[in-house]
Amino acid sequence: MTNRSLPRLLQSPAVILLLIWMLIPLGMTLYFSFIRYVLNSLRRPEWTQPSLSNWRGFGNYEFVLNNKDFLFAIQNSLFIVCSILFLTVMLGVMIAVLINKAFPGRGIVRVLLISPFFVMPAVNAVLWINMILDPVLGLQGLAVAGINTLIDGLQTAPIVGSFFSLWPEIEPISFRATQTSAYAVIIMVTWQWTPFAVLIFMTSLQSEDQQQKEAATLDGAGPWSQFRFLTLPHLARPIAIVVMIQAIFHLSLYAEIEIVSRGNGNKNLPYLIGEFANNNIGAASATGIFAVILANIVAIFLLRMIGKTLME
Amino acid sequence: MAIVAQSSKTRRIRRATLAWIVGLLFFYPIFWLVLTSFKTDADAVKPEHLLFFTPTLENYLNMTENYDYWRFATNSIITSVFATIFALAVGIPCAYAMAFNPSRATKDVLMWMLSTKMLPAAAVLYPMTFLTKSLGLFDTHFMIIVVLMLINLPIVIWMLFTYFKEIPKEIIEAGQMDGVNTWGEIKEILIPLAWGGIASTALLCFIFCWNEAYWTVRLTTTDAATLSKLIEGNRAPEGLFFGRLSAVSAAAVGPIVVLGWFCQKQLVQGLTFGAVK
Repeated sequence: MTNRSLPRLLQSPAVILLLIWMLIPLGMTLYFSFIRYVLNSLRRPEWTQPSLSNWRGFGNYEFVLNNKDFLFAIQNSLFIVCSILFLTVMLGVMIAVLINKAFPGRGIVRVLLISPFFVMPAVNAVLWINMILDPVLGLQGLAVAGINTLIDGLQTAPIVGSFFSLWPEIEPISFRATQTSAYAVIIMVTWQWTPFAVLIFMTSLQSEDQQQKEAATLDGAGPWSQFRFLTLPHLARPIAIVVMIQAIFHLSLYAEIEIVSRGNGNKNLPYLIGEFANNNIGAASATGIFAVILANIVAIFLLRMIGKTLME
Repeated sequence: MAIVAQSSKTRRIRRATLAWIVGLLFFYPIFWLVLTSFKTDADAVKPEHLLFFTPTLENYLNMTENYDYWRFATNSIITSVFATIFALAVGIPCAYAMAFNPSRATKDVLMWMLSTKMLPAAAVLYPMTFLTKSLGLFDTHFMIIVVLMLINLPIVIWMLFTYFKEIPKEIIEAGQMDGVNTWGEIKEILIPLAWGGIASTALLCFIFCWNEAYWTVRLTTTDAATLSKLIEGNRAPEGLFFGRLSAVSAAAVGPIVVLGWFCQKQLVQGLTFGAVK
């Protein structure tokens, strides 16, 4: 065996497996997206099986583009992803800077902080929607009820009562409506992924040039301007990486949406595909191709960015 | 000077306090889940038993009859362990070749592997369902193991690659001089040297397999259903059974969160593919 062919041979299982994993399902999606393929069609039984004679051209794409749910799903996907990105990066930078310097119990705080990241998505959703955000039985409901009881008590109190009698009762927010359940998803995913951002930013802060900071202190630069002109530029690349990786993960967000929002209209692209896939495979596949295009746009940026540093 | 020291000390204390508050706030939902799991279903929704209640193990003891927990847990363990083993078995030779015999295409191959990870799972939902059903593999351990292995393979190869690159080439070459064959090099030299890196890669891969919630939910019904499927199926009790639901949830995430503590540092390398150091 020559020196050249052996490395290839060692790589081939992984490469072949991933090639199959990528090409066959995607090829089938592409094929299904161009034919009429409906699982329950009593009127046209020939459509229930995939076949080239059911060719529909770009009909499925047209159907999907004209579906009002499609634009909403894209808009909602982007809204959820962008909100999560904004919140995790902002919180991540703040917390990373906060715990960057040594303090008693830093190791424990680090462990506490990272824990949410390892919670499985299904449990995350069940936990937040039932036990924390529920308007009656969750922590939110209990807190609101507590505040209302307090206000009620103050209203009957002797002197200050007349002042507090003007205060309204607080209404708890239901997180199961279309719009608010998107907020619920944003909250729970932010909780889960902020630790990831913190961890990455912390790792990056460890390599920050300390001498430069000392020099800045001697020059009279305050903590804010040090952060603004030294730390933030240093974090630019990790921030970009966190944004890209999260974008890819959250564009395919599924379990949380499924658990929080089933049937209440709050859908994203993967959820819409799941809905179509219950019956209209052609439309589901066309939507899938749109999802691939969307993910590719994001991925190209990420690959460019990581590619530069790969062989350093 | 004393005043400056004083003020910087208060600032340090304030900083530490704030850091602790943030840490506790982030951990709070998990603490809350575990706390609720020790309450009876009735106590779990009563405000007066928010913090003070008689702890009970009932929820954990009845987990098997309420949810058939162990069947799902066994499936999770089997699929995650085997997916991790297979991912390593395929990944180690691949990363070995890439790290010690890089060719011009190595970088592109690595990038391409990464790009498979970015393919949205939902896009191939129906073809995957169709294929697994027509091959008779729907709801089988085998299928879940294969899928879990494939979705984590790029991360595994990337992590192993970054670890292997740290090993001096001379050590491997010395082995070649001594006439050790490739298999011997991997077994006798590479694996002992990179043991720590391989272990943390395996741990992280196991965690990702355990938490996977798309394919494990969509490609199973009962026989190969994992804990993700179990929780997903019990998602909306509307206040009923908070206690028992908490217990089964805590039992599903507890071991993994603890494992996660041990490999938090590797997470950075694994998920940023070595781009942040």
